Amino acid sequence: MIPSARLLLALLASGSAGAAPQQFLIEPAATHVHWEIRHFGTSTSRGRFDAVGGSITLDREARRGSASIAIQTGSISTGLTLFDAVLRGPYLLSTEAHPAAYFVTSRFVFDGDRVTAVDGVLTLRDTASALTLRAQRFACRTDNAEPPREVCGGDFEAEFNRSLFGITHSLPFVADKVRVIVQIEAVRQ
Amino acid sequence: MTKTLLIASLLATGTFAAHAEIATYAIDPSHTFITFEANHFGTSTLRGRFDKKDGLVTLDKAGKSGKAEITIDATSVSTGVAPLDTHLKSKDFFNAAEFGSAKFTADKFAFSGDKVSEVAGTLTLLGKTQPVTLKATNFNCYISPMLKREICGGDFETTIARSAYGMAYGLNYGLPDNIRLLIQIEAVKQ
Repeated sequence: MIPSARLLLALLASGSAGAAPQQFLIEPAATHVHWEIRHFGTSTSRGRFDAVGGSITLDREARRGSASIAIQTGSISTGLTLFDAVLRGPYLLSTEAHPAAYFVTSRFVFDGDRVTAVDGVLTLRDTASALTLRAQRFACRTDNAEPPREVCGGDFEAEFNRSLFGITHSLPFVADKVRVIVQIEAVRQ
Repeated sequence: MTKTLLIASLLATGTFAAHAEIATYAIDPSHTFITFEANHFGTSTLRGRFDKKDGLVTLDKAGKSGKAEITIDATSVSTGVAPLDTHLKSKDFFNAAEFGSAKFTADKFAFSGDKVSEVAGTLTLLGKTQPVTLKATNFNCYISPMLKREICGGDFETTIARSAYGMAYGLNYGLPDNIRLLIQIEAVKQ
């Protein structure tokens, strides 16, 4: 049986299981949440959130991890100032009432020492729903900084229906299904 | 709208197929974006887009041909990371001071049924012109309930080698040569 999130976090915190979990801090310049949504069944509209922060715990030997990520909803950027304003408005992201969205997970799925998926909970507009992010790629490297730092990251994707979070504006002309693409890199502390 | 629909359906049925019905479409800048993807040191994918662009497309659905001319403002590159945007606009990459825009022109439209499946032409970047073929992953025409006019558009993609345009910065220390381009386009019938 899968241990409860609380137990897993307690184990991680106590570090009782031999290999030490490593702390990583998100690198904002290489971390973005992008989204795609179909417009009138014709083309794909894209946008991104520019302000994403958070921390990750990774224990590749014990094959577990946890992450707590906050996305500033007001940082949405589509390349269209007017559209960004509409997206921030009360009918869509309602960014004044809900300035952040959160993704929290304590269940990392591994293949060897590579993360292949993370099962977590997305909270958007104060509505929480389970979400699995699938890794399209995952890698760790030593970067060129002085002294060199260990950087782990990858590309993750997921789909969800925006209506689940109460975002129903422009349905059905703009699709319910949203594809989320996450570029993430984090530096070991 | 009824008339437009009638004309659209007549066109679709090929009633006017005997003589070409060439329609001109102006790019809708709010639903037209060029996004690029570059692998970042084998770890993740860096994305950016160009926010300013302009263009015209002519489409002859009956005669199954078309032309496109799209101008992309190199100064409008946007990654969400201001220092990176500045670097991308510099001489190392787009050299936006000298080459303010990139241009895509095409006159070879391939169709699958009544849908555009491929657009072949040239991309001019940093003053160098190279052939490119955009493959459609979506294509559709619809009548806009707001504009009461026909809109045609879709999603297209291709991969270019930036070195072919003389953009070679960082190739020797792990920045990728191959850049994937994802193009959203919608254009309004004039």
